[in-house]
Amino acid sequence: MSATNCNEFLNQLEQWMEGERSADARAHLRTCADCRHIVEDLDSIHETARVIGATETAPSEQLWASLCVQLEHEGLIHTQQRHWTQAVAEWFEGVFSVVPRPALAGAYLVALVGIGLALAVPGYRRFNWGGNSTRLSARLNRAELDTIAMVESDPAVTASLEKNLAIVDNYIALCEKSVQEDPESEIARDYLYDAYQQKADLLAQMSERGAGQ
Amino acid sequence: MVGNTAEAEDLTQEAFLQLFRKIATFRGESAFSTWLHRLAVNVVLMKLRKKSGKETSLEQVTEPDDESGGPRRDFGAADLKLSGSLDRVNLQRAVDQLPPGYRAVFVLHDVQGYEHNEIAEIMGCSIGNSKSQLHKARMRLRELLHEEIREKAREERRAAGSASNSED
Repeated sequence: MSATNCNEFLNQLEQWMEGERSADARAHLRTCADCRHIVEDLDSIHETARVIGATETAPSEQLWASLCVQLEHEGLIHTQQRHWTQAVAEWFEGVFSVVPRPALAGAYLVALVGIGLALAVPGYRRFNWGGNSTRLSARLNRAELDTIAMVESDPAVTASLEKNLAIVDNYIALCEKSVQEDPESEIARDYLYDAYQQKADLLAQMSERGAGQ
Repeated sequence: MVGNTAEAEDLTQEAFLQLFRKIATFRGESAFSTWLHRLAVNVVLMKLRKKSGKETSLEQVTEPDDESGGPRRDFGAADLKLSGSLDRVNLQRAVDQLPPGYRAVFVLHDVQGYEHNEIAEIMGCSIGNSKSQLHKARMRLRELLHEEIREKAREERRAAGSASNSED
């Protein structure tokens, strides 16, 4: 006969489940089916809960995308804009997948030297910024139209040109926006000229490709 | 803790938003993980309380004792045993019916494996309170699960009765 009755055991049940088990409680449990029944139930609940914990799944990708949108909307994070070097890397990758390096000659050099000389004039970037920028932009637009006309007979080259122009034009647009926001920034201007230079390079290479057809 | 994947994802998003909004208020007085858990648990409790229509403060995370001052002490019918009939689906269903405070402690301890000292920090209560809430939560779950078994047995009897009547 155990010294503990059911009520006393139930008073200690919380401690029992926490692992604090007195000799009297153990003795009672050996002889009382009702109390054993409760303990077994609680053990089952505990064990099944562990199974739930082990099978919890990670949130969907959509959640993280939605979270990013909300955080950006609230201004809590800023998505990092692609650095210009990445754009250039993609551009080179695109160009050289279509244009073999040895083919870079004639028209490429003409266009490159033309734009390069304009950019290299001492003091060019400091003076008459607006006029020079407009002239360069207009010259590139004309070159773009000429190049498109030259490559239009080759769908692969046309597709590559369009893809790479989109990248470079996007980069130029970003740089122009930066210059508009801060017209006195030397860095912003340097980036914009660099972007024009890249477009000139692209058009020259594609012209070379078109001329070789 | 909410028993619904879509709702759980909404709350996960809300918890992360709160993290970004409140990160400046973290003063390093506790471990970052504890602070983050507390924040997440508060988001969940807030939601559960809104659902249940109770407007209680976040600090009041524990449940008042019932009339007897503790969990009910019915032994349950001797022929009803959870072992063997209990699975994660019906346990999850029962957990969904627990009051928010019980549910939070039960999920943190039994489902996620936190220790009482960690839960006390996360919930802002004492260790003894965490132990007591867990015990009450388990006892309440046992009651709910027994009720479910009884209800199922009644339905089976009804179904068997109507089947034998139609044979006559």
